[in-house]
Amino acid sequence: MSVGQWVLLAYRLPREPSTARIALWRALRRLGAAQLLDGLVALPADSRTREQLEWLADSVVEAGGEATVWLAQPGSAAQERMIAARMQADVGAEYRKLMQEAKQAQATPVGARKRTLGRLRRELRRVRRRDYFPAPEREPATAAVDELAASVEQVPA
Amino acid sequence: MRWATRSAPHVDRTACAWLIARFIDADAQFVFVDDPDDVPADATPFDMRGAELSHRGGECSFEAFLHRYELDDPVLWAIARIVHEADLNDERYDAPEAPGLDVLMRGLSMVRADDEVLALSAPLYDGLYEYLKRAALLGREPA
Repeated sequence: MSVGQWVLLAYRLPREPSTARIALWRALRRLGAAQLLDGLVALPADSRTREQLEWLADSVVEAGGEATVWLAQPGSAAQERMIAARMQADVGAEYRKLMQEAKQAQATPVGARKRTLGRLRRELRRVRRRDYFPAPEREPATAAVDELAASVEQVPA
Repeated sequence: MRWATRSAPHVDRTACAWLIARFIDADAQFVFVDDPDDVPADATPFDMRGAELSHRGGECSFEAFLHRYELDDPVLWAIARIVHEADLNDERYDAPEAPGLDVLMRGLSMVRADDEVLALSAPLYDGLYEYLKRAALLGREPA
């Protein structure tokens, strides 16, 4: 089985100021990067992920740290599957939370349902962006949000 | 003057090129490279690792240009918020236009050569500028 191309960010950041560490951590979380080791993260390579990790590398250097960006292939398909499964499980948990919130919202008044719908749609869009290995929970989560949307539409204005 | 950036320009680079041509250098010529080492000696690099006119302190390159050239036109800053969200998507600003602009620019770069992408996107940014200017004057969305 062939393996894919990945982009890696190797970094070292001074402990202080912690704002730089927090900003980096948030950005990596938003991208859904897999933490391979302390100071080494990976994403499937495409023009967007590569660019985003390059900007983060620059921000690490700006904050007084060291960072390099690498293109790499996993040494075996099994390793790639392991990392991909972990990323899929993380995203899957986010989808499950969304699904649960969409279902719970069905029991609330229509005004609250509309507000929840807006928030869940934005959240769904965020999660989909970091869903690199389509998680099985993607479809049911999308369906749950669509059902919430339908329940809002059925109420006459 | 010559300006250099990475090939396959998306939202930040197309917006920067438009900004350069309209507000900074009317005779701007653009060069596209794949590696920062390939930037010609007489060209100013932007939106590339290591360039001054690039991502800084969590801001995108378009914002870096506005700071560097002291462009304080509020309409340009309104465009900057959209470009920032389209490029970085970090929810620093509320810019509902951003995902649409991002998709349009990505798609355009898939079907056209780099210099054509700049030629085709410039009138869109002209239009965006006009729209946001009218919106600011009216205090609501212009028809």
